[in-house]
Amino acid sequence: MTERAEAVLEARELRLGFGAVEALRGVSLRVAPGAIHALIGPNGAGKSSLLNCLSGFYRPRSGRVLFGGRDISALGPAARARAGIGRTFQGIHTYPGLTARENILTGFHARMRAGILAGLFRWPAAVREEEAFTARAEEIIAFLELEEHRHALVGEMPYGLRKRVDLGRALALEPRILIMDEPMAGMSPEEKGDLARYILDIRDRFGIPVVLVEHDMDVVMDISDRITVLEFGAVIADDIPAAIRTDPRVIAAYLGGATEGATP
Amino acid sequence: MRPTGLWFETHAAEARVLETRRARLSALALLAVLAAMPLIAGPWLLGELTNLFITLIAVLGLCVTVGMAGQINIAQSAFVGVGAFATARLSGMGVPFWAVLPVAALITGAVSVLFALPAVRVRGFYLALTTLAAQVMFPIIVMALPMAWLGGLVGLPVTPPALFGIGLSTPGRLYWLCLAVTVLAVWCGFNLPRSRLGRAMRAVHDNDTAAEVMGIPVARVKIAAFFTGALFAGVAGALMAYFLQFVTAQNFTLFASVWYLGMLIVGGMHSPLGAILGVCFVTALQEGLHKAANLMLQSDSALGGGAFFALSSILLALCVLAALILEPRGLAHLWHQVMTAFRLWPFPRN
Repeated sequence: MTERAEAVLEARELRLGFGAVEALRGVSLRVAPGAIHALIGPNGAGKSSLLNCLSGFYRPRSGRVLFGGRDISALGPAARARAGIGRTFQGIHTYPGLTARENILTGFHARMRAGILAGLFRWPAAVREEEAFTARAEEIIAFLELEEHRHALVGEMPYGLRKRVDLGRALALEPRILIMDEPMAGMSPEEKGDLARYILDIRDRFGIPVVLVEHDMDVVMDISDRITVLEFGAVIADDIPAAIRTDPRVIAAYLGGATEGATP
Repeated sequence: MRPTGLWFETHAAEARVLETRRARLSALALLAVLAAMPLIAGPWLLGELTNLFITLIAVLGLCVTVGMAGQINIAQSAFVGVGAFATARLSGMGVPFWAVLPVAALITGAVSVLFALPAVRVRGFYLALTTLAAQVMFPIIVMALPMAWLGGLVGLPVTPPALFGIGLSTPGRLYWLCLAVTVLAVWCGFNLPRSRLGRAMRAVHDNDTAAEVMGIPVARVKIAAFFTGALFAGVAGALMAYFLQFVTAQNFTLFASVWYLGMLIVGGMHSPLGAILGVCFVTALQEGLHKAANLMLQSDSALGGGAFFALSSILLALCVLAALILEPRGLAHLWHQVMTAFRLWPFPRN
């Protein structure tokens, strides 16, 4: 992966403000193919704002978002999801009344065809389609090791499992890039380890680049290919983890002495 | 929970509603008893059951709109009315009943879409108000239109249904017709939640923000939920028109709409089983108390006749309240708990 590689997702000079507060002050970002790209920075630095601009929740005041070379600045979140930008949420945004497998199956909505009558009468074509997509959902279930929970209601699951279902649902969109907003927040160390492994697998097995906002420095330093550091709505560093660790501006702004404590 | 020792070889087999042999046989036995009813039951019971079937179809529709998609609808009775008036007009034009049912359903669906459009923008109480408006407007519009269209204040007669020249208007035959349509409606009601669209509706119910980002077109799914629920209402309305043989706007009141919702809530909103249990429970209570009040009325008593009916209404309300307090998630939940306990026995359920 070189500096020159064609970016999958690119943000150019994004500016975003809430009233008098400027959340993003001309932020640019390039996500290379197959890279795990972390966004870090102190609270209020604009990480989540940047993610929401990428996934279409916020409309920036100026600047552009390019996806696979195409300008998607004007698309809303649903259109961006269909274009191939999958995302997972901060906190819990799964469907509690659906089972784990049904949650994942909802991700296939745009790819499936069955309409109202097929749903009501369940004719053979609808059953065949349902079977085919259930088999694909099962592949995701196997990948995320959710087999024993496939029929459990997500609303009755512990937090870590729900986050895994959330990830499964995003994978069902068959995205070309995955955006994760604080995936590790609130997880136990074991759950963090599992999730970090899944993120690495997603990159290696599916070749899907991952953009993640994360506060756990150990995780970020371990799994990221590249790190962008934000402070007060501006990029103060953008480099490989080893360089970020020693960047004096980053240490001053955010890490403090934390790098010494980081696990090797 | 599933019974033990149950294995599936295909995803379709796993998606079955009646999973075990015993469940399938029980359903078949129930169906046989219901089919034999015209041979053993008197006209009163037959009429009550026919009415129950029609109510069940309407409540199954409500289960789609309100229970699955979470879009509040207090105009289901008006939608049933649309189906009934459509049936009166269509049957009057000589359309056979097997064509009337789907066409009345589609007309009702189309009308419901008009009132579903606000659901794209408004939620909760505001949506309740727009559907309430539909319910209130319904009789006004029927009566305001020219007599020749929907019968105005008088109402419309319904041409009795017939199949291959055989009249279906005798109580027994009409019962069989309603039973057959109800079985089909229940089957559809159980199919929908495990289909692509049903899952999308339930997803929109649970979290419409996430659903939008996950590629589900929320506005279209909400409209589809109203449309599908109204299809059921239209079929119920068609059967009701054949049952009553004469339709007027007064048959389709806000009162009925609220009861439909009440039955769904008592039974459990989230599954068609809840619609079935709720309709059976509330109808049995209503009719049982009504019958009891009638009997009391005939026997000599110091109390006036009106008092019995007032008391029976209060008792009915108390029973519904008790059901809600004891099992707020509905009778369907109770059913699942009992089944789980039965399957785990002698081990405790936890």
